[in-house]
Amino acid sequence: MDPVTGKTIAVNVNGDQYEREVEARQLLVHFLRDDLELTGTHIGCDTGNCGACTVIYDGTAIKSCMLLAIQADGARIDTVEGLASDGELHPLQRAFSETHALQCGYCTPGMLMSAKHLLDNNPEPTQHEVRRALQGNICRCTGYWNIVEAVLAASKGEA
Amino acid sequence: MTETVTPTEALVVEETETRPGFIGQSVPRKEDRRLVQGEGIFIDDMKRHGMGFVHFVRSPYAHARIVSVDVSKALELDGVYGTLTGDEVAIQTDPYFELTVPPGNEIKDYCLAVGKAHYMGEPVAAVVAATRDLARDAAELVEVEYEPLPVLVDPERAQDADAPVIHEDPGSNVVWSGLFSWGEIESAMAEADHVVRIQRLHFDRFSSTPLECSGGLVEFDRPTGQWHIYSNNQFPGFAAIMMAPALRTGIDKLRFISHDIGGAFGNKICTHPQLTACCLLARKLKRPVQWTEWRTEQHMTNTHGNERVFLDVEVPVKADGTMLGFRCRAIDDCGAYPRYEPLGCIIWSQVTPGMYRWRHIEIDFTQICTNKSPVGPNRGYSRMQHLWFTERVIDIVAHELDLDPVEVRKRNYIRSDEMPYETPNGCVYDSGDYSKMLDMALELIGYGVLEERRAEAAERGKLLGLGIGSTLDSGTNNFGQSQLLNPELQFSGNNEVATIKLDLLGEVVITLGTVPQGQGHETVASQVAAEILGCTPDDIHVRVGHDTYWNSHSGFSGTYASQFAVTGLGAVKGAAEKLAEEMRRLAAAVLGCPADDIELAGGMARMRDNREAALPFMALGAIINVNNAGLPEDLDVTLNARYVYRPPFQVPDKERKFGNLTLTYASQIHACLVEVDPETGAYEIVNYAAVDDCGKRIHPQIVEGQVHGATAQAIGAATHETFAYDEDGNLLTPNFYDYHVPHALDMPPLHAGYLESPSPFTAYGAKGMGEGGGAGIHAVCAALQDAMRAAGNQIVHDSCNPPWRVWEMLQDPESTRRLVSVEERR
Amino acid sequence: MLLRQVEYARAESVADAVRLLGENSNARPLAGGQTLVNVMKARAASPDVLVDLNGLDELKGIRTTPAGGLELGSMVTYTEMVESEDVGDFRPRLAEVTSTIADVQVRNRGTLGGNLCSNDPTNHLPPLMVAMGAEMTIAGSSGERTVPAEDFFLGVYLTAVEPDELLTKVTLPPPGGGDGFAAVTIGREGTCIVNAAAVVHDGEARLAIGCVSAVPVVVRAPSEPEAAAAAVTTADFDPPTDVHASAGYRRRLAEVLARRAVQQAIGVG
Repeated sequence: MDPVTGKTIAVNVNGDQYEREVEARQLLVHFLRDDLELTGTHIGCDTGNCGACTVIYDGTAIKSCMLLAIQADGARIDTVEGLASDGELHPLQRAFSETHALQCGYCTPGMLMSAKHLLDNNPEPTQHEVRRALQGNICRCTGYWNIVEAVLAASKGEA
Repeated sequence: MTETVTPTEALVVEETETRPGFIGQSVPRKEDRRLVQGEGIFIDDMKRHGMGFVHFVRSPYAHARIVSVDVSKALELDGVYGTLTGDEVAIQTDPYFELTVPPGNEIKDYCLAVGKAHYMGEPVAAVVAATRDLARDAAELVEVEYEPLPVLVDPERAQDADAPVIHEDPGSNVVWSGLFSWGEIESAMAEADHVVRIQRLHFDRFSSTPLECSGGLVEFDRPTGQWHIYSNNQFPGFAAIMMAPALRTGIDKLRFISHDIGGAFGNKICTHPQLTACCLLARKLKRPVQWTEWRTEQHMTNTHGNERVFLDVEVPVKADGTMLGFRCRAIDDCGAYPRYEPLGCIIWSQVTPGMYRWRHIEIDFTQICTNKSPVGPNRGYSRMQHLWFTERVIDIVAHELDLDPVEVRKRNYIRSDEMPYETPNGCVYDSGDYSKMLDMALELIGYGVLEERRAEAAERGKLLGLGIGSTLDSGTNNFGQSQLLNPELQFSGNNEVATIKLDLLGEVVITLGTVPQGQGHETVASQVAAEILGCTPDDIHVRVGHDTYWNSHSGFSGTYASQFAVTGLGAVKGAAEKLAEEMRRLAAAVLGCPADDIELAGGMARMRDNREAALPFMALGAIINVNNAGLPEDLDVTLNARYVYRPPFQVPDKERKFGNLTLTYASQIHACLVEVDPETGAYEIVNYAAVDDCGKRIHPQIVEGQVHGATAQAIGAATHETFAYDEDGNLLTPNFYDYHVPHALDMPPLHAGYLESPSPFTAYGAKGMGEGGGAGIHAVCAALQDAMRAAGNQIVHDSCNPPWRVWEMLQDPESTRRLVSVEERR
Repeated sequence: MLLRQVEYARAESVADAVRLLGENSNARPLAGGQTLVNVMKARAASPDVLVDLNGLDELKGIRTTPAGGLELGSMVTYTEMVESEDVGDFRPRLAEVTSTIADVQVRNRGTLGGNLCSNDPTNHLPPLMVAMGAEMTIAGSSGERTVPAEDFFLGVYLTAVEPDELLTKVTLPPPGGGDGFAAVTIGREGTCIVNAAAVVHDGEARLAIGCVSAVPVVVRAPSEPEAAAAAVTTADFDPPTDVHASAGYRRRLAEVLARRAVQQAIGVG
C-alpha cells in the first residue's frame, strides 16, 4: 500500500460495526471519544503512563493513546461501555461499587478494562498478580487498596 | 492488603444518642452507577455545535520580555477561527484582584502574559480552531519574539539585592511578610534545659496531579451578556470573585456549571485565568470555546503546592522532654503569581502548635515570588507544610536528645481531657485523643516486634526504620483570617447553601452549592435528608454537580478545605428541616390536626397516633403545586426550601492575630516501616498503619476512602513526587514519565483503624475531612531518619526523599548533621 | 497529545517495508508505538511517513536454533517473550527482565525490535542483549547483514539500522553459563535509573551497564562479584546528571549493580 494521509476504517466496538474516515495522525482514543462519541474511555496524560485510555484491542489490553486509529482497521475493540449488558452491571462493575473502588471515577473505565483483561486470562489471580495487572493504571483518589480488593472479590464471585 | 480495625468498646470515645436511619451507614453510592459504566460527564466529554477548540501558546522562557506576538500565519490556516493575545487582554480586562497588601497588590495578573512572561509555560496567546489538531497546528504558527531575562528559582535568593524582580509594579519579590508571635518565646528560651537548633527544613514543591486535567467549555449569550462556563473548577465562588471584576461584569453574568470531575485536590481552584481567556474568546468569536488542559500543561502551569523553607529553627526543651515552643523564619515560594495567596501565609496558623501543647511560638513569615508555576491550595493547603515542620521538629529533637519518639510525643500531645483546646493563637481544637490513636497505630504496625524486625533486616544488609507521622485536618475555615494578612479585605466567616424541594410527583430534589470531585456528595446529602424526611436515600434525588442558575450557592461555595461534612451537610440539614417542618404543617392542615402530631416516616406524613391518617409525599407535592384551592390563608408553605449554613465565627483579632480560624479538627496518626538498601539509597515501605478520627462518620466507606487516598498521595510526595526546576526555570518533571506517581505495585500493605471523637460544634458530631494533612510524608521522613541511626545518624530535612537523596545522606552524614545543634543550658 | 500530519502505509512484506522506508524521506517504521507515538504526541520528532510493521508475520515468532540458541523476530511483543515456553526454557532471565518493562498494556504492544532500535539509554534490553552476546539481523535493499549487539548501539536513539533498513530478528547464542540483571528503578519495576546485565562463562563475566552513557557500557571482568565492581569503577564512562540521579550516584550504582548482577549470574545473588 502507498502512504496515505487518511483512510476509511471499519472497526467493531463492543459488538457494533462502524465505518469512519480518519486522518492518519488521529489517535485511537480520540477516534473513540470524538468520532464515535464513546466518551467512557478517558485521557489523563500525554506520555502513555496513566492508563485511563485502556481498552481491549483484539483481546489484549492496550493503551489507546499509543495506537493510531488507522491501525485499528478491522479490529475488535472493547471499551467500558460494553461491559454491562441489558442494563445488568458486569461483576467487576458491581464489585468496584461495593468495595468503594472508585471515587471520582475518572480512572475507573481504564481500571475495569485492565481488570477484565486480567480475569479473562487468569480467573483466580493472587493479590500480587492483581497489582501487577493494574500497574499501568494510575489512580489519584483511592490509593488502589480498594481497587485490588474489588478485583479479587469479583474473581471469587463475591460481587 | 488492607485491614480495617473495628475499635472495641473502649476505643470509641463518645456516643451521644443512637441514631436510627442512614447516618453512619455505608449506603451504596449514587454516583457509581454512571461512573462504572463510563457514563460520567467530564468536561472534555461535552460538545457543542460549532464549538472551537483552544490551544494556548506558551512561553518557553521562565522570565522574558515579550517583544512581539504575531498571529497572522496562524490566522491563515484553514479552520482557524481566531486568536487572543496579551495586548487584547490588557485592553478588555482589568488585572485580577490581589488579596495581599501593598506593594504586592500592585502585581498585574491577567489571563495571558502582558508584556512579560513570568514562568515557563505562561500562556502568551490563544488560538481557536475547528478541531483540536488544527488548534495545535495553528499554535505552532504563532510567532513570538522574546528577550530572555535572568531567572529566579531559589526562594532563599528572592530578597537579595541583585535578585531578578518578577513583577516590576510592586518592585519587590515579596508578596507578604509578617511576624507571628504568641506566648513568650524569650522566656521559654531562658527556661529551657536544652535549645535544639535546626538550620533548615525544606518542604518540596509537588501537587496531587488529579488524573483529569482542567478544562472548560464557555458559551456567551450576546443579548444578555451572560456567560455559561461549563468547567471542572472546584471553587466557583472564588472564580467569580476573580473573574467578574476582571471581565467588568456582574457576578451573576458568570454562570458556573460543573458535572463530574476527575479529582481536583485543590488544583482546580485557580483555573480562572484560562476560563477568562475562554470567556473573551467565546465573546470575540461568537461561538462556544472548548479548552482541555494537557498533562504537561498541568504540571508546568497549573498549579503546584506551596514550597516552604523553614530556617534558623530554635526549640527550647525541658530535661524531661517537654517542648516549650519554637521560633523560626519561614519563606514560602508561591511561584510567579499569588492568586489564592497570600492566604497560605495565615492558613497554616489553624494548626500553629500541630498536635502539641507548646505555647511559645514565633514565626517570621515571608512569601515571595519566583519564576516558577503559580501555586494553588493543593490538598492539605499550608497546614500540611506546617504540620510536616512540627513533626520534623518533634522527631529531630527526640533524635538529638535521645528521647523515645513515642514517649516524647505522648508527653507533648494535647490531651483528650483538655479538649476543646484553645491554641496559643486562639484556635479551638474540638476533640480528639491523640495518644490513643498513636497506641492504635503502633499496635497495627507491630511496634512490639520492631527490634526483632530491625535485627532481621540488618542480617539481610538492610536498615529498618519506624516513623510516626501525626497530623491534623482542620476543616471549615473562617475566611476572616484573611484580614489578619490584609485588614482591608472584606471576607469573613464561611457558608454553604442547599435547596430542597418536594416536587409535583413526590420526588425530593436537592441542589448543592458544592462541587464534588469524587467525595460522594450526592450520596451523603441524601443520607442526611432521608433521615430528616423519614424516607430512604433512594427517594432523594441530588442533582449532579453545581450550577449558578440553581441559586443554591453563595460567595464561598465550592469543595475545598475539608468542609463538606460540616458546611455542605449543615446546609442540607437546614434545608431538609425547613422542608420537613413545612410538610408537617401542610399535612396537619389537610388532616385537621396540630402540626406537632405529624411525623414523617416511611415516605409519608402521618399522624403519630393514627398512622392510617397519612399523606404520601406525592400528595403533598401535588397540593402545593397544582391543587391548592381551599388551603388556609395563613398557611405559608412552598415545599421549596433554601438554607444557608453559617458556622459560628467571629472576625479574629487583627492586632494579636488571634481567634478561631477553623471549626473542626480531624486528626490522623500514621506509622510507617521502611527498609533502606544502604548501598543504593533505594527503600521500600514494608508496612503501614493509618489511624484517623474525623468525628462521627456519616458514610464510613467514603471516609476511609479519603484516608486511603490522602495516604497514597502522601506516600508519593514523600518518595518521588517533586516539581524540580533547573536554574533556567525549566521544569524537570513535566509529565508522568519523569514525575512518578505511585501505582498499585508501589503501595505498601495498609492497616487502618479509626476513632470517632464527635465534634461538639457540629450537628452530627462529624468533622470535615478529606485533605488528610500529609501524615504519610511525616511518617516516611521519620522512618528514614530512624533507619539511618545505624548508618550515620543523619537528619531528614527535606520532605521528598527519593533514592538519590537517601543515598547522598548516607554518603555524607555530615551534610545533614551540621544542620542541627544542641545547646545545653543546664 | 496531538500529532502533526503524517502519512501512513501498512507494509505487506519486509521487502515492501524496506522499499517504503527507502522511497520516502523522513519515514519511520512503526512497531509497537509505545515510544514512537509518544514522541510524535510531544512533537519532539515528526516523521512524514509511518511504515506499519504490525502485519508482518515474518517478523514474528520465537524459535530455537539448531545450535541451541534462540531466535526472536523483531516484532515479538514483550508479552510474547514473557509467555514464550522457549524463552522460559532457554533464557528465563530474558523473560524475567522483560516482565518488568513498563506495564501490562505496554508489554502487550511494545516489541523487542522497538526497544532495541529506539535505544533509549534507560531501556532494559540493550544492555541485556549486549551481555548475552546477541546478534542482530538487519534487512536492507541490498540484502541482509548481521551485527553483533556490541556494535549495534551507536548513540542515544541511534543504532546500526539505517533509515532504509529494518531489524528483522535477534539471535541469542546458547547460554554458556549463568546470567544476571540488576536495576534501581523509579518506583517498583519502573524506568531504570541504572541497570546492569551480566553473563558469566568460563570464569569470565561480560557486563553491560545501562543508563550511564549513550550506549550500554561493556565491561569485562572475572566472574567474581567484587572484581566485577572494581572493573566498573575503573571503566571509562561519564554518566549524566538529571532529576533522578547525579553522575556520582549513577557511577556508584553501576558498581553496586554490576556486583549484584554477577552474584545473580553465579547463583549467589
